[in-house]
Amino acid sequence: MKFGIFYEISVPRPWDGEAEKRVFDNCLEQVALADELGFDTVWAVEHHFLEEYSHCSAPEIFLTACAMRTKKMRVGHGIVVCVPEFNHPIKIAERTATLDIISGGRLEVGTGRSATWNELGGFRANPDETKKTWDEFVRCLPKMWTQERFSYQGRSWSMPERAIIPKPYQKPHPPMWVAVTSPGTEIDAAERGLESLGLTFGSVREQEEKIKNYRRIIANCEPVGEFVNDKVSTVNFLFCHEDSERGNKIGRRMLGTFNYLAAQLLAAREAYPTKSYPSLGLLPTLRKEASGPGDQAGVPEGIAIGDPERVLRACKRWEAVGVDRINFLLNALETVPQAEVLNSLRTFAKHVMPHFQDSSTQAAAAGGGR
Amino acid sequence: MPYSGTMDVDAFAPNVNQINGYKTEAWTLKGAQILNVYYEVKNEPFASLMPVTFHPVIPSYAMLNVTHYPESPVGPFTIADVRVGCRAGVRPRGFTLKSYVSTEAAARELANRWGYPASVADVYLRAFHDRVIGRVKAGDRTILEVEMLDREFIGGNDIQYVSSMHLCRNREDGKLVVVQLDPEWTFIKAERGRPRLGAFEGQAWNGGDKLVPTWPISASYAIADMTLSTIRYVSDPKQDAFKGTTQLAA
Repeated sequence: MKFGIFYEISVPRPWDGEAEKRVFDNCLEQVALADELGFDTVWAVEHHFLEEYSHCSAPEIFLTACAMRTKKMRVGHGIVVCVPEFNHPIKIAERTATLDIISGGRLEVGTGRSATWNELGGFRANPDETKKTWDEFVRCLPKMWTQERFSYQGRSWSMPERAIIPKPYQKPHPPMWVAVTSPGTEIDAAERGLESLGLTFGSVREQEEKIKNYRRIIANCEPVGEFVNDKVSTVNFLFCHEDSERGNKIGRRMLGTFNYLAAQLLAAREAYPTKSYPSLGLLPTLRKEASGPGDQAGVPEGIAIGDPERVLRACKRWEAVGVDRINFLLNALETVPQAEVLNSLRTFAKHVMPHFQDSSTQAAAAGGGR
Repeated sequence: MPYSGTMDVDAFAPNVNQINGYKTEAWTLKGAQILNVYYEVKNEPFASLMPVTFHPVIPSYAMLNVTHYPESPVGPFTIADVRVGCRAGVRPRGFTLKSYVSTEAAARELANRWGYPASVADVYLRAFHDRVIGRVKAGDRTILEVEMLDREFIGGNDIQYVSSMHLCRNREDGKLVVVQLDPEWTFIKAERGRPRLGAFEGQAWNGGDKLVPTWPISASYAIADMTLSTIRYVSDPKQDAFKGTTQLAA
């Protein structure tokens, strides 16, 4: 089991001149500490127009800053939107290779297609096309990274032969992940030999089924890259405090705030009738687990909130169903003061992480391709 | 945070209908023809179009619906309504600002049984080979005209209708209340197409000059059997849905 941290970068109103800078500075301070404490990866989303929820529209720049402030942590796009209206595939290949070089070969490349009308409508992308363009992009990226010269005639994009430079520092290329939100996307990941970057907060039981399915299918995959990485990660919240009551209280407030923010977004499926988005994304799960600020409900199953003992139990449950890595959201709308976030990271590293050291070492040894 | 509705419900109250308590029977409405056109609307005054019960959706959008019911306990009728996209807690909902119905009997029963904000007007829905048109005329004014162009078949499962909620006054205790309607649909046929808005008068839909369509999102047309269920949830229009919602039935 490995542990990462995961950033949406949510910025509360009012957006005075300092608000965004303060949040970015806080995130970078957390990243530097997490690196010292032994967290494995920092992930950053790519979102656009999601006011307050996520101001992380240029993750490659944020991740570059992270790479410059850390020594060991890997840096992960979680995810790059593989839709041509958002990102041209050549630019993705160039940007990611550059980041891999300047991070000294620490890049992980998550891929996905966006799930909100806020973003798809904002870029005027066709929701029917996103799964197809994602598929095309993930098949092209490894070739653009590894072939000296590359040409392509495809469905959503084409190019004559050119040298796409620079090339990634990692050989043959950085590990590739797929954001798994919609049901069935774990199958898409497995069929292509890509790692599964879980981005929903489903119950342990639901995810256990998905993981079994993923493992079964990836065993016979046709990899789009030069190697297969059979890895499953999930996203979680983290607020770990030695005082159980305080841990639960502050953690629940963060969870409720996140739920509010995520729910206000307009899911692609809600706005636009299409087969391409069979679920409402985060919404169904949030509905099950919703607890608004001030709500007295308990912490949902599997969520890493509370004292170290409870957080350890939650992480062990995920480990038991086959999750290789948990990526933690540390804050939402700055509801947790920065000092508390840093303390939570330290408490987790001191009391919880040591219980996973052996499995972490084993996982690293079996990593392959890194 | 949280971003909530700011409507003055007492000022809005003259626009609402009265409901005869919350005990009504479900209606089964076979073969309903449903035209839904979604438009993004101007963001800035959007929160003032819904009670504090709700959180506005980002981006702001309106649902412009025209439905024909060929069979009902009060005979055939056609209804149009305008809803604004919102959330009750984390649940997707549409808050109905105003509705027009083609017959007196339907308007009366929908108000008495569900508190629906319905008035009588000339409501029209027709499907042509290349388009579906919905239109509402109040007197000599066309207050809504929506079209779905370039008809294309899809599956019923591809359409995601959201439950609606509206404000009414309970005749039994005189209190203003938000009632949730959560119909069930069995799709017979579903289509989507390109939306077009030919006419829209915000004033006629209780949106005043605050409800301004700005950008087309989508259009769908379906034929479905619908069950207009008994009332399951009511909410206090002066409280957040998390705190002020009462469950009446499972």
